[in-house]
Amino acid sequence: MAVKKSYDEINEKIRKGQAVVVTAEEVSQMALECDPGEIARKVDVVTTATFGPMCSSGAFINFGHYDPPIRMEEVLLNDVPAYAGLAAVDAYIGATAESKYNETYGGAHVIEELIEGKEIRLKAKARGTDCYPTKEVETIVNKELVNEFFLFNPRNAYQNYAAAVNSLGHTIYTYMGSLLPRFGNATYSTSGELSPLLNDPDFRTVGIGTRIFLGGAQGFVSWYGTQFNTSKQKNIYGVPTSNAGTLSVIGDAKQMHTRYIKAAYMERYGVTLFVGIGIPIPVLDEELARSVSIRNEHIETTVLDYGRSEKPIVGTATYAMLRSGTIEINGKKVKTAPVSSLLRAREIAGELKQWIQGGQFEITKPIEHFPTHTHVKGLKRQ
Amino acid sequence: MNKRYIFTFSPDIVNRPIVSEIAKHYDVMVNILNADVTSGREGKLVVELEGADGNIVQSLEYAKEAGVECVPLEKQLQFDQDQCVACGSCTAVCFSGALMMDADSWELLFDPEKCVVCGRCVKACPLQLFRIAMEE
Ligand code: SF4
Ligand code: SF4
Repeated sequence: MAVKKSYDEINEKIRKGQAVVVTAEEVSQMALECDPGEIARKVDVVTTATFGPMCSSGAFINFGHYDPPIRMEEVLLNDVPAYAGLAAVDAYIGATAESKYNETYGGAHVIEELIEGKEIRLKAKARGTDCYPTKEVETIVNKELVNEFFLFNPRNAYQNYAAAVNSLGHTIYTYMGSLLPRFGNATYSTSGELSPLLNDPDFRTVGIGTRIFLGGAQGFVSWYGTQFNTSKQKNIYGVPTSNAGTLSVIGDAKQMHTRYIKAAYMERYGVTLFVGIGIPIPVLDEELARSVSIRNEHIETTVLDYGRSEKPIVGTATYAMLRSGTIEINGKKVKTAPVSSLLRAREIAGELKQWIQGGQFEITKPIEHFPTHTHVKGLKRQ
Repeated sequence: MNKRYIFTFSPDIVNRPIVSEIAKHYDVMVNILNADVTSGREGKLVVELEGADGNIVQSLEYAKEAGVECVPLEKQLQFDQDQCVACGSCTAVCFSGALMMDADSWELLFDPEKCVVCGRCVKACPLQLFRIAMEE
Protein backbone atom coordinates (compact mmCIF):
# COMPACT_ATOMS: atom_id res chain seq x y z
CA MET A 1 0.00 0.00 0.00
CA ALA A 2 1.22 3.47 -0.83
CA VAL A 3 2.72 5.31 2.11
CA LYS A 4 1.10 8.57 3.22
CA LYS A 5 2.25 10.44 6.30
CA SER A 6 0.96 13.72 7.65
CA TYR A 7 2.94 16.53 9.25
CA ASP A 8 1.10 15.83 12.50
CA GLU A 9 2.04 12.16 12.47
CA ILE A 10 5.68 12.99 11.92
CA ASN A 11 5.63 15.66 14.63
CA GLU A 12 4.04 13.21 17.00
CA LYS A 13 6.99 10.89 16.39
CA ILE A 14 9.44 13.79 16.84
CA ARG A 15 7.88 14.63 20.20
CA LYS A 16 8.21 11.02 21.30
CA GLY A 17 11.81 10.91 20.11
CA GLN A 18 10.91 8.19 17.60
CA ALA A 19 11.29 10.01 14.31
CA VAL A 20 13.76 8.54 11.85
CA VAL A 21 15.88 11.42 10.58
CA VAL A 22 18.68 11.13 8.05
CA THR A 23 20.64 13.66 6.04
CA ALA A 24 20.09 14.10 2.31
CA GLU A 25 23.45 12.47 1.65
CA GLU A 26 22.57 9.50 3.83
CA VAL A 27 19.23 9.01 2.11
CA SER A 28 20.93 9.17 -1.30
CA GLN A 29 23.16 6.31 -0.16
CA MET A 30 20.15 4.37 1.15
CA ALA A 31 18.48 4.80 -2.22
CA LEU A 32 21.19 2.68 -3.83
CA GLU A 33 19.60 -0.28 -2.09
CA CYS A 34 16.05 0.73 -1.20
CA ASP A 35 13.23 1.76 -3.48
CA PRO A 36 11.24 4.94 -2.81
CA GLY A 37 8.44 2.99 -1.14
CA GLU A 38 10.84 1.50 1.38
CA ILE A 39 12.44 4.89 2.04
CA ALA A 40 9.04 6.49 2.54
CA ARG A 41 8.20 3.79 5.07
CA LYS A 42 11.53 3.95 6.92
CA VAL A 43 12.44 7.65 6.90
CA ASP A 44 10.40 10.49 8.38
CA VAL A 45 12.57 13.53 7.81
CA VAL A 46 15.56 14.29 5.60
CA THR A 47 17.83 17.19 6.51
CA THR A 48 19.38 19.34 3.80
CA ALA A 49 21.85 22.19 4.12
CA THR A 50 24.04 24.77 2.48
CA PHE A 51 26.78 27.12 3.64
CA GLY A 52 27.85 29.64 1.04
CA PRO A 53 28.20 33.31 0.23
CA MET A 54 24.73 34.85 -0.09
CA CYS A 55 24.95 38.51 -0.97
CA SER A 56 21.24 39.23 -0.70
CA SER A 57 21.23 39.15 3.09
CA GLY A 58 20.93 41.69 5.84
CA ALA A 59 19.44 42.50 9.23
CA PHE A 60 16.88 44.77 10.79
CA ILE A 61 17.88 46.49 13.99
CA ASN A 62 15.83 48.60 16.35
CA PHE A 63 18.20 50.72 18.44
CA GLY A 64 15.70 51.93 21.05
CA HIS A 65 14.62 55.51 21.60
CA TYR A 66 16.98 58.23 22.61
CA ASP A 67 16.15 61.04 25.01
CA PRO A 68 15.23 63.54 23.59
CA PRO A 69 14.08 61.41 20.65
CA ILE A 70 15.63 61.27 17.21
CA ARG A 71 14.16 60.09 13.93
CA MET A 72 17.29 58.65 12.36
CA GLU A 73 17.76 59.50 8.71
CA GLU A 74 21.38 58.60 8.20
CA VAL A 75 22.74 55.65 10.10
CA LEU A 76 26.33 54.42 10.17
CA LEU A 77 27.42 51.24 11.94
CA ASN A 78 31.21 51.15 12.20
CA ASP A 79 31.07 53.60 9.29
CA VAL A 80 28.96 51.24 7.18
CA PRO A 81 25.76 52.94 5.99
CA ALA A 82 22.50 51.26 6.96
CA TYR A 83 19.13 52.07 5.43
CA ALA A 84 17.08 54.24 7.76
CA GLY A 85 14.13 55.29 5.64
CA LEU A 86 11.84 53.70 8.21
CA ALA A 87 10.32 54.75 11.50
CA ALA A 88 12.46 56.53 14.01
CA VAL A 89 15.02 54.02 15.25
CA ASP A 90 14.69 51.13 12.83
CA ALA A 91 17.40 50.43 10.27
CA TYR A 92 18.35 47.71 7.82
CA ILE A 93 21.98 46.84 7.42
CA GLY A 94 22.66 45.09 4.13
CA ALA A 95 25.47 42.54 3.92
CA THR A 96 27.16 44.13 0.91
CA ALA A 97 27.15 47.75 2.14
CA GLU A 98 30.74 48.96 2.41
CA SER A 99 32.41 51.07 5.02
CA LYS A 100 33.02 54.63 3.86
CA TYR A 101 36.71 54.20 4.57
CA ASN A 102 37.53 50.54 3.93
CA GLU A 103 36.15 48.58 1.01
CA THR A 104 37.02 45.24 2.58
CA TYR A 105 34.77 45.88 5.61
CA GLY A 106 31.02 46.03 5.32
CA GLY A 107 27.54 45.21 6.54
CA ALA A 108 28.36 41.51 6.70
CA HIS A 109 31.16 42.24 9.18
CA VAL A 110 28.86 44.41 11.29
CA ILE A 111 26.31 41.58 11.40
CA GLU A 112 28.94 38.99 12.30
CA GLU A 113 30.43 41.18 15.02
CA LEU A 114 27.02 41.94 16.51
CA ILE A 115 26.21 38.22 16.61
CA GLU A 116 29.55 37.60 18.27
CA GLY A 117 28.57 40.08 21.00
CA LYS A 118 31.01 42.80 19.97
CA GLU A 119 30.37 46.50 20.29
CA ILE A 120 29.62 48.57 17.22
CA ARG A 121 29.85 52.35 16.89
CA LEU A 122 26.51 53.87 15.87
CA LYS A 123 26.37 57.31 14.30
CA ALA A 124 22.95 58.67 13.45
CA LYS A 125 21.89 61.97 11.95
CA ALA A 126 18.50 63.59 11.51
CA ARG A 127 17.09 66.93 10.52
CA GLY A 128 15.20 67.37 13.77
CA THR A 129 11.42 67.73 14.06
CA ASP A 130 9.04 68.91 16.75
CA CYS A 131 8.47 65.40 18.05
CA TYR A 132 12.03 64.17 17.29
CA PRO A 133 14.26 67.14 18.12
CA THR A 134 17.66 65.40 18.36
CA LYS A 135 19.84 65.87 15.28
CA GLU A 136 22.83 63.74 16.02
CA VAL A 137 23.68 60.71 18.13
CA GLU A 138 26.97 58.91 18.47
CA THR A 139 27.13 55.91 20.74
CA ILE A 140 27.99 52.25 21.17
CA VAL A 141 25.55 49.39 20.60
CA ASN A 142 25.73 45.62 20.90
CA LYS A 143 23.14 42.86 20.60
CA GLU A 144 22.14 43.14 24.25
CA LEU A 145 21.63 46.90 24.06
CA VAL A 146 19.44 46.97 20.95
CA ASN A 147 15.80 45.85 20.95
CA GLU A 148 15.39 43.59 17.94
CA PHE A 149 18.16 42.30 15.73
CA PHE A 150 16.89 39.85 13.16
CA LEU A 151 18.24 38.60 9.89
CA PHE A 152 15.94 39.12 6.95
CA ASN A 153 17.49 37.88 3.73
CA PRO A 154 15.49 38.49 0.57
CA ARG A 155 17.31 35.90 -1.56
CA ASN A 156 19.11 32.87 -0.19
CA ALA A 157 19.55 29.17 -0.88
CA TYR A 158 19.45 29.16 -4.66
CA GLN A 159 17.96 25.91 -5.93
CA ASN A 160 20.87 25.41 -8.28
CA TYR A 161 23.63 27.71 -9.41
CA ALA A 162 25.61 27.85 -12.62
CA ALA A 163 29.31 27.05 -12.50
CA ALA A 164 31.70 29.74 -13.68
CA VAL A 165 34.67 29.90 -16.07
CA ASN A 166 36.55 32.71 -17.79
CA SER A 167 37.50 32.78 -21.47
CA LEU A 168 39.45 36.04 -21.31
CA GLY A 169 43.22 36.36 -21.37
CA HIS A 170 43.44 37.68 -17.83
CA THR A 171 42.17 36.67 -14.38
CA ILE A 172 38.81 38.09 -13.37
CA TYR A 173 37.70 38.47 -9.77
CA THR A 174 34.04 37.62 -9.26
CA TYR A 175 31.59 36.52 -6.59
CA MET A 176 32.38 33.04 -7.90
CA GLY A 177 36.02 33.55 -6.87
CA SER A 178 39.16 34.20 -8.91
CA LEU A 179 38.57 32.88 -12.42
CA LEU A 180 41.84 32.21 -14.20
CA PRO A 181 42.38 33.14 -17.86
CA ARG A 182 41.54 30.88 -20.82
CA PHE A 183 39.35 28.45 -18.88
CA GLY A 184 42.10 28.00 -16.27
CA ASN A 185 39.58 26.85 -13.66
CA ALA A 186 35.88 26.44 -12.97
CA THR A 187 34.09 27.21 -9.73
CA TYR A 188 30.70 26.05 -8.46
CA SER A 189 28.56 26.94 -5.49
CA THR A 190 25.95 24.40 -4.47
CA SER A 191 26.08 21.57 -1.99
CA GLY A 192 24.67 19.24 -4.68
CA GLU A 193 22.59 16.37 -3.35
CA LEU A 194 22.64 18.00 0.10
CA SER A 195 21.30 21.30 -1.21
CA PRO A 196 17.88 22.20 0.25
CA LEU A 197 15.80 23.13 -2.77
CA LEU A 198 17.20 20.36 -4.97
CA ASN A 199 15.64 17.84 -2.60
CA ASP A 200 12.16 19.29 -2.91
CA PRO A 201 12.30 20.64 -6.45
CA ASP A 202 8.56 21.35 -6.70
CA PHE A 203 8.34 23.05 -3.30
CA ARG A 204 5.83 20.60 -1.92
CA THR A 205 7.05 20.94 1.66
CA VAL A 206 9.09 24.14 1.60
CA GLY A 207 6.85 27.19 1.55
CA ILE A 208 5.88 30.26 3.50
CA GLY A 209 6.24 29.60 7.22
CA THR A 210 8.57 26.59 7.00
CA ARG A 211 10.73 26.34 10.11
CA ILE A 212 14.41 26.09 9.21
CA PHE A 213 17.94 26.20 10.61
CA LEU A 214 19.26 29.70 9.98
CA GLY A 215 22.71 30.71 11.11
CA GLY A 216 22.73 28.31 14.05
CA ALA A 217 19.25 29.19 15.34
CA GLN A 218 15.70 28.41 14.34
CA GLY A 219 14.43 30.63 11.58
CA PHE A 220 11.64 30.62 9.05
CA VAL A 221 11.00 30.87 5.36
CA SER A 222 9.25 34.22 5.16
CA TRP A 223 8.43 34.30 1.46
CA TYR A 224 9.74 32.98 -1.83
CA GLY A 225 13.03 34.66 -2.59
CA THR A 226 13.56 37.45 -5.06
CA GLN A 227 14.20 36.33 -8.63
CA PHE A 228 12.22 33.16 -7.82
CA ASN A 229 12.00 31.39 -11.14
CA THR A 230 9.93 28.30 -11.87
CA SER A 231 10.35 28.44 -15.63
CA LYS A 232 13.92 27.12 -15.77
CA GLN A 233 14.43 23.91 -17.69
CA LYS A 234 14.34 20.72 -15.63
CA ASN A 235 16.20 17.53 -16.41
CA ILE A 236 14.76 13.99 -16.46
CA TYR A 237 15.23 13.74 -12.69
CA GLY A 238 12.99 16.77 -12.20
CA VAL A 239 15.61 19.26 -11.03
CA PRO A 240 16.30 22.58 -12.74
CA THR A 241 19.63 22.78 -14.54
CA SER A 242 20.48 26.35 -13.52
CA ASN A 243 19.56 29.09 -11.01
CA ALA A 244 15.84 28.64 -10.30
CA GLY A 245 14.00 28.79 -6.96
CA THR A 246 15.18 30.98 -4.07
CA LEU A 247 14.08 31.65 -0.49
CA SER A 248 13.51 34.70 1.60
CA VAL A 249 14.34 33.82 5.19
CA ILE A 250 14.03 35.40 8.61
CA GLY A 251 15.38 34.62 12.05
CA ASP A 252 16.51 36.05 15.38
CA ALA A 253 20.16 37.02 14.85
CA LYS A 254 20.70 37.35 18.60
CA GLN A 255 20.53 33.57 18.84
CA MET A 256 22.71 32.85 15.84
CA HIS A 257 26.32 31.77 15.86
CA THR A 258 29.29 33.11 13.92
CA ARG A 259 30.19 29.55 12.99
CA TYR A 260 27.25 29.70 10.60
CA ILE A 261 27.18 33.41 9.73
CA LYS A 262 30.50 34.63 8.44
CA ALA A 263 31.50 37.86 6.74
CA ALA A 264 33.68 37.66 3.66
CA TYR A 265 35.39 39.93 1.19
CA MET A 266 35.79 38.81 -2.37
CA GLU A 267 38.76 40.40 -4.10
CA ARG A 268 37.67 43.27 -6.35
CA TYR A 269 34.03 42.26 -5.94
CA GLY A 270 33.16 43.34 -2.46
CA VAL A 271 31.72 42.25 0.83
CA THR A 272 29.35 39.32 1.19
CA LEU A 273 28.01 37.03 3.88
CA PHE A 274 28.37 33.29 4.26
CA VAL A 275 25.01 32.04 5.49
CA GLY A 276 24.33 28.59 6.88
CA ILE A 277 20.86 27.24 6.13
CA GLY A 278 19.38 23.85 6.93
CA ILE A 279 15.93 22.72 5.82
CA PRO A 280 14.05 19.60 6.90
CA ILE A 281 12.11 17.79 4.20
CA PRO A 282 9.37 15.54 5.60
CA VAL A 283 9.07 12.30 3.64
CA LEU A 284 5.28 12.36 3.31
CA ASP A 285 5.04 9.88 0.46
CA GLU A 286 6.93 7.97 -2.20
CA GLU A 287 7.21 10.91 -4.49
CA LEU A 288 9.08 12.91 -1.85
CA ALA A 289 11.16 9.84 -1.07
CA ARG A 290 12.19 9.84 -4.73
CA SER A 291 13.01 13.58 -4.66
CA VAL A 292 15.24 13.38 -1.60
CA SER A 293 17.07 10.36 -3.02
CA ILE A 294 18.60 12.40 -5.81
CA ARG A 295 22.35 11.97 -6.24
CA ASN A 296 25.11 14.25 -7.50
CA GLU A 297 25.29 12.43 -10.83
CA HIS A 298 21.64 13.34 -11.43
CA ILE A 299 22.02 17.04 -10.75
CA GLU A 300 23.29 19.04 -13.68
CA THR A 301 24.20 22.66 -13.87
CA THR A 302 25.18 24.95 -16.71
CA VAL A 303 28.69 26.35 -16.98
CA LEU A 304 28.77 30.06 -17.81
CA ASP A 305 31.57 32.20 -19.21
CA TYR A 306 31.93 35.06 -16.73
CA GLY A 307 34.52 36.64 -19.00
CA ARG A 308 31.73 37.94 -21.23
CA SER A 309 29.03 40.26 -19.97
CA GLU A 310 26.18 38.23 -21.44
CA LYS A 311 27.62 35.12 -19.71
CA PRO A 312 27.05 32.61 -22.50
CA ILE A 313 26.60 28.94 -21.65
CA VAL A 314 29.78 27.04 -22.51
CA GLY A 315 28.82 23.63 -21.19
CA THR A 316 27.02 21.58 -18.59
CA ALA A 317 28.32 19.39 -15.79
CA THR A 318 26.85 17.23 -13.07
CA TYR A 319 27.83 17.77 -9.45
CA ALA A 320 29.52 14.39 -9.53
CA MET A 321 31.78 15.72 -12.30
CA LEU A 322 32.33 19.07 -10.59
CA ARG A 323 33.33 17.29 -7.38
CA SER A 324 35.72 14.96 -9.21
CA GLY A 325 38.21 17.82 -9.61
CA THR A 326 38.04 18.30 -13.38
CA ILE A 327 35.38 18.89 -15.99
CA GLU A 328 35.72 19.16 -19.73
CA ILE A 329 34.94 22.40 -21.54
CA ASN A 330 35.31 22.45 -25.32
CA GLY A 331 37.49 19.35 -25.12
CA LYS A 332 39.82 20.93 -22.55
CA LYS A 333 40.24 19.57 -19.02
CA VAL A 334 39.44 22.29 -16.52
CA LYS A 335 40.24 22.15 -12.80
CA THR A 336 37.18 22.64 -10.60
CA ALA A 337 36.81 24.09 -7.12
CA PRO A 338 33.85 24.88 -4.88
CA VAL A 339 33.17 28.30 -3.39
CA SER A 340 30.66 27.10 -0.81
CA SER A 341 31.59 24.78 2.02
CA LEU A 342 30.31 21.23 1.82
CA LEU A 343 32.09 20.48 5.08
CA ARG A 344 30.06 23.06 6.96
CA ALA A 345 26.86 22.22 5.09
CA ARG A 346 27.26 18.64 6.29
CA GLU A 347 27.77 19.90 9.80
CA ILE A 348 24.52 21.89 9.57
CA ALA A 349 22.58 18.92 8.17
CA GLY A 350 23.95 16.85 11.07
CA GLU A 351 23.08 19.51 13.63
CA LEU A 352 19.53 19.88 12.34
CA LYS A 353 19.16 16.10 12.38
CA GLN A 354 20.10 16.10 16.06
CA TRP A 355 17.69 18.90 16.86
CA ILE A 356 14.85 16.94 15.28
CA GLN A 357 15.87 13.63 16.84
CA GLY A 358 16.09 15.39 20.21
CA GLY A 359 12.54 16.72 19.87
CA GLN A 360 13.67 20.36 19.87
CA PHE A 361 12.65 21.08 16.32
CA GLU A 362 9.33 20.23 14.72
CA ILE A 363 8.50 20.36 11.06
CA THR A 364 5.96 22.82 9.71
CA LYS A 365 3.41 22.56 6.99
CA PRO A 366 3.72 25.60 4.71
CA ILE A 367 1.09 28.21 5.50
CA GLU A 368 1.01 28.95 1.80
CA HIS A 369 2.78 27.40 -1.17
CA PHE A 370 5.02 29.34 -3.51
CA PRO A 371 3.77 30.48 -6.89
CA THR A 372 4.10 27.86 -9.60
CA HIS A 373 4.49 29.97 -12.73
CA THR A 374 7.08 32.67 -12.38
CA HIS A 375 9.85 33.97 -14.54
CA VAL A 376 12.44 36.67 -14.03
CA LYS A 377 12.38 39.97 -15.87
CA GLY A 378 15.36 42.10 -16.71
CA LEU A 379 15.55 45.88 -16.36
CA LYS A 380 14.84 47.76 -19.55
CA ARG A 381 15.83 51.25 -20.54
CA GLN A 382 12.51 53.07 -21.18
CA MET B 1 71.99 25.08 7.08
CA ASN B 2 68.77 24.76 5.04
CA LYS B 3 67.95 27.16 2.26
CA ARG B 4 65.13 27.24 -0.27
CA TYR B 5 65.56 28.33 -3.84
CA ILE B 6 63.55 28.47 -7.01
CA PHE B 7 65.57 26.95 -9.85
CA THR B 8 64.44 27.93 -13.32
CA PHE B 9 65.74 25.85 -16.20
CA SER B 10 65.59 27.25 -19.72
CA PRO B 11 64.26 24.73 -22.28
CA ASP B 12 67.77 23.90 -23.61
CA ILE B 13 69.08 22.66 -20.26
CA VAL B 14 65.91 21.20 -18.86
CA ASN B 15 67.11 17.66 -19.51
CA ARG B 16 70.56 17.97 -17.88
CA PRO B 17 70.92 16.23 -14.48
CA ILE B 18 72.18 19.40 -12.77
CA VAL B 19 70.43 18.75 -9.51
CA SER B 20 71.97 15.33 -9.04
CA GLU B 21 75.40 16.72 -10.01
CA ILE B 22 75.11 19.32 -7.24
CA ALA B 23 74.30 16.63 -4.74
CA LYS B 24 77.23 14.48 -5.88
CA HIS B 25 80.00 17.07 -6.18
CA TYR B 26 79.30 19.47 -3.33
CA ASP B 27 77.97 17.29 -0.56
CA VAL B 28 74.67 19.17 -0.57
CA MET B 29 71.38 17.41 -0.01
CA VAL B 30 68.79 18.53 -2.52
CA ASN B 31 65.21 18.14 -1.52
CA ILE B 32 62.82 18.89 -4.36
CA LEU B 33 59.77 20.50 -2.81
CA ASN B 34 57.86 21.16 -5.96
CA ALA B 35 57.87 21.34 -9.69
CA ASP B 36 55.71 24.27 -10.75
CA VAL B 37 53.31 22.85 -13.28
CA THR B 38 51.85 26.15 -14.42
CA SER B 39 55.05 27.48 -15.94
CA GLY B 40 54.77 25.16 -18.91
CA ARG B 41 57.74 25.09 -21.25
CA GLU B 42 60.58 26.08 -18.95
CA GLY B 43 61.29 23.92 -15.95
CA LYS B 44 60.80 25.29 -12.48
CA LEU B 45 61.80 23.55 -9.27
CA VAL B 46 61.46 24.61 -5.70
CA VAL B 47 64.38 23.04 -3.86
CA GLU B 48 65.68 22.98 -0.36
CA LEU B 49 69.47 22.76 -0.12
CA GLU B 50 70.93 21.26 3.01
CA GLY B 51 74.65 21.32 3.77
CA ALA B 52 77.55 23.51 4.90
CA ASP B 53 77.17 27.17 3.90
CA GLY B 54 80.33 27.11 1.77
CA ASN B 55 79.17 24.06 -0.09
CA ILE B 56 75.78 25.59 -0.78
CA VAL B 57 77.40 28.74 -2.19
CA GLN B 58 79.66 26.65 -4.43
CA SER B 59 76.80 24.45 -5.60
CA LEU B 60 74.75 27.50 -6.51
CA GLU B 61 77.64 28.89 -8.50
CA TYR B 62 77.86 25.62 -10.35
CA ALA B 63 74.15 25.68 -11.10
CA LYS B 64 74.27 29.28 -12.32
CA GLU B 65 77.26 28.44 -14.51
CA ALA B 66 75.19 25.67 -16.07
CA GLY B 67 72.49 28.20 -16.94
CA VAL B 68 70.05 27.69 -14.07
CA GLU B 69 68.49 30.78 -12.63
CA CYS B 70 68.63 30.48 -8.81
CA VAL B 71 66.40 32.75 -6.79
CA PRO B 72 66.35 32.41 -3.02
CA LEU B 73 62.90 31.77 -1.67
CA GLU B 74 62.70 34.23 1.15
CA LYS B 75 59.00 34.58 1.15
CA GLN B 76 56.76 32.25 3.02
CA LEU B 77 53.05 31.75 3.05
CA GLN B 78 51.34 32.20 6.37
CA PHE B 79 47.94 30.62 6.81
CA ASP B 80 45.50 31.11 9.66
CA GLN B 81 44.00 27.64 9.22
CA ASP B 82 41.85 27.74 12.38
CA GLN B 83 39.52 30.26 10.75
CA CYS B 84 39.11 28.27 7.53
CA VAL B 85 35.52 27.39 6.60
CA ALA B 86 36.61 25.01 3.83
CA CYS B 87 34.82 26.92 1.10
CA GLY B 88 37.44 25.80 -1.40
CA SER B 89 37.95 29.13 -3.18
CA CYS B 90 41.71 29.01 -2.65
CA THR B 91 41.97 25.60 -4.30
CA ALA B 92 40.63 27.13 -7.51
CA VAL B 93 43.88 29.02 -8.00
CA CYS B 94 46.50 26.76 -6.40
CA PHE B 95 48.19 24.61 -9.02
CA SER B 96 51.15 23.40 -7.00
CA GLY B 97 49.03 20.98 -5.00
CA ALA B 98 49.66 22.85 -1.75
CA LEU B 99 45.95 23.55 -1.29
CA MET B 100 43.51 20.77 -2.07
CA MET B 101 40.10 19.64 -0.95
CA ASP B 102 39.96 16.18 0.57
CA ALA B 103 37.65 14.32 -1.80
CA ASP B 104 35.84 12.52 1.04
CA SER B 105 35.74 14.85 4.01
CA TRP B 106 35.83 18.08 1.94
CA GLU B 107 38.21 19.59 4.42
CA LEU B 108 40.92 21.85 3.10
CA LEU B 109 44.32 20.17 3.04
CA PHE B 110 47.36 22.45 3.18
CA ASP B 111 50.83 21.14 2.45
CA PRO B 112 53.32 24.00 2.92
CA GLU B 113 56.10 21.88 1.38
CA LYS B 114 54.39 22.13 -1.98
CA CYS B 115 53.78 25.87 -1.86
CA VAL B 116 55.68 27.89 -4.44
CA VAL B 117 54.52 31.19 -2.90
CA CYS B 118 52.79 32.36 -6.06
CA GLY B 119 50.44 34.41 -3.89
CA ARG B 120 47.25 33.66 -5.79
CA CYS B 121 45.47 32.22 -2.75
CA VAL B 122 46.04 35.49 -0.88
CA LYS B 123 43.52 37.19 -3.13
CA ALA B 124 41.29 34.16 -3.60
CA CYS B 125 40.46 33.51 0.07
CA PRO B 126 37.27 35.41 0.98
CA LEU B 127 38.28 35.38 4.64
CA GLN B 128 41.78 36.74 3.95
CA LEU B 129 43.47 33.91 5.80
CA PHE B 130 46.71 33.94 3.79
CA ARG B 131 49.60 36.33 4.04
CA ILE B 132 52.97 36.36 2.39
CA ALA B 133 55.67 37.07 4.90
CA MET B 134 59.39 37.51 4.46
CA GLU B 135 61.53 34.94 6.22
CA GLU B 136 63.95 36.28 8.78
S1 SF4 C 1 50.94 30.75 -2.59
FE1 SF4 C 1 48.95 29.80 -2.29
S2 SF4 C 1 48.20 29.40 -4.35
FE2 SF4 C 1 50.40 29.75 -4.54
S3 SF4 C 1 51.31 27.72 -4.36
FE3 SF4 C 1 51.28 28.54 -2.30
S4 SF4 C 1 49.39 27.78 -1.45
FE4 SF4 C 1 49.21 27.51 -3.65
S1 SF4 D 1 39.56 30.15 0.59
FE1 SF4 D 1 40.07 30.56 2.73
S2 SF4 D 1 38.27 29.88 3.90
FE2 SF4 D 1 38.07 29.02 1.84
S3 SF4 D 1 39.01 26.98 1.98
FE3 SF4 D 1 40.64 28.36 1.33
S4 SF4 D 1 41.60 29.04 3.22
FE4 SF4 D 1 39.65 28.13 3.80
